[in-house]
Amino acid sequence: MNILITGAASRLGQAVAEALQGHMLRLMDESPVDLPGEGDTVDVPAESDSVEGSLLDQDFVWRAVRGMEAVIHTGEPPQDLPESDVEREKHLLELATRGTHQLFKAAVEVGVKRFVYGGTLDLFRPYPDDVYISELWKPLPEPDMPAMSRYLGEHTAREFARDYMVTVTGLRLGTLVCEEEVAGQAPDLLWLDYRDAAQAFKLALERDASDQVWWTSRYAIYHVCADLENPKYLINQARNLGYAPVHNFAANWKD
Amino acid sequence: MKKILLLGASGLIAPHIIPVLEKDYDLRLADIKDHPDGKPIQTVDVRDYGQVREAVEGMDAVMNFTVLRHDDTLSFQVNTIGAWNVMKAVADAGIKKVIHTGPAQTLLLYAHDMDVPVDAPDAPSSDYYFITKHLSNEIVRSFARRHEIHTVCYLFQGLAPRPTEPASKTSTRDFLIIYDDLAVACRQGLELPSVPGFYQAFNLHSHYGPGKYNLEKAERILGYAPQEAWWDWQRRPTED
Repeated sequence: MNILITGAASRLGQAVAEALQGHMLRLMDESPVDLPGEGDTVDVPAESDSVEGSLLDQDFVWRAVRGMEAVIHTGEPPQDLPESDVEREKHLLELATRGTHQLFKAAVEVGVKRFVYGGTLDLFRPYPDDVYISELWKPLPEPDMPAMSRYLGEHTAREFARDYMVTVTGLRLGTLVCEEEVAGQAPDLLWLDYRDAAQAFKLALERDASDQVWWTSRYAIYHVCADLENPKYLINQARNLGYAPVHNFAANWKD
Repeated sequence: MKKILLLGASGLIAPHIIPVLEKDYDLRLADIKDHPDGKPIQTVDVRDYGQVREAVEGMDAVMNFTVLRHDDTLSFQVNTIGAWNVMKAVADAGIKKVIHTGPAQTLLLYAHDMDVPVDAPDAPSSDYYFITKHLSNEIVRSFARRHEIHTVCYLFQGLAPRPTEPASKTSTRDFLIIYDDLAVACRQGLELPSVPGFYQAFNLHSHYGPGKYNLEKAERILGYAPQEAWWDWQRRPTED
């Protein structure tokens, strides 16, 4: 499948690319993305190319989606953000809203049928820790831009499933870490290893509901984090996709 | 007299309600363009946080009537970044009352339904304008909850002057609110001592037919009701 991955220079973007062996990837970011032969840091499929530009650049986005069959919008912010708090928030907000809208609009127009969006489980942080939270719980996004921008992007993505015969799958991700790098640290109920997140993106990409008459079937949302013995965030729905996380921070929880 | 910042004071809506509100409130009028009747305007571009923060200083409440819909980029910037800047400035200044506004978000999804609640969930569609206004509502709701800002969000489909005669056999009364009713609703929102959950949205109208969009919630929370009963605008001539 021809797949466009946004935020491809981010650690999540690279993990997702590595998980999609066998596909033709177009790796998109504002920063240069490593490709095979250009660096040894990533192991992305050989049949890949990269495009460098901003989601806010309409012409660039229209060129980037051409020929694609699926779009993975990781939601990951670019690496170079304005230093001023006000300008940084403004830029993140515009990327999540206008950028997401522009990307999805262009993609549906060129015939892309499958979309996966990277949201956040941070939307449920205001709830106490001693509850089981599922996709049926109402998000309570705080007015902090990292979480709020993901929430607004999620809402933007959802509306395209309402209006078009396309599959839109939202993944609300936990806090992305690498299990080896957090060894010895106090565990967090939100932790999610990059590699397991990538697994979830790969599985979400396989969901095909574009011919479903009901838009509520074309759209789906899944909570994605580690598989804990006593979790706050339930991943039962993601299990239905085949999600089986392998980095579950057992050593952290044992200590 | 309460001090109220009115953003979008020179737009399509605010000039029609200012004459009513200025009798009861000390209004600070703000916009990026001149007021159509020449009232003094403080230049505030809601995309500029610094300008917004300066404008809210010393205010008791803020009414946001800014909107832009003819261009997708500007719509996103004014409607979403603008909403963020306004609520952030309000929170920073310790202001506890906001009236936010936007288009009715329920018309498409519930076009063929009856008994649509006044606070039915938004169904904005992928249309850029409706999306931007929906996202702005979500931004406002988040700030309101976190900072305990009593916020009402008025959603309407159309605005118009008070009709001079009932509908005729070739016309109907659409989902719209007349200026006088909106001015009353604004006063009610400004005077409401507390908003349940700190945020409530209302699809307001003046004379939509019975059994379609009910105003029960607006009446219960705000005390709002159209000043004239809907059927007064639907009368057909009959012989006594």
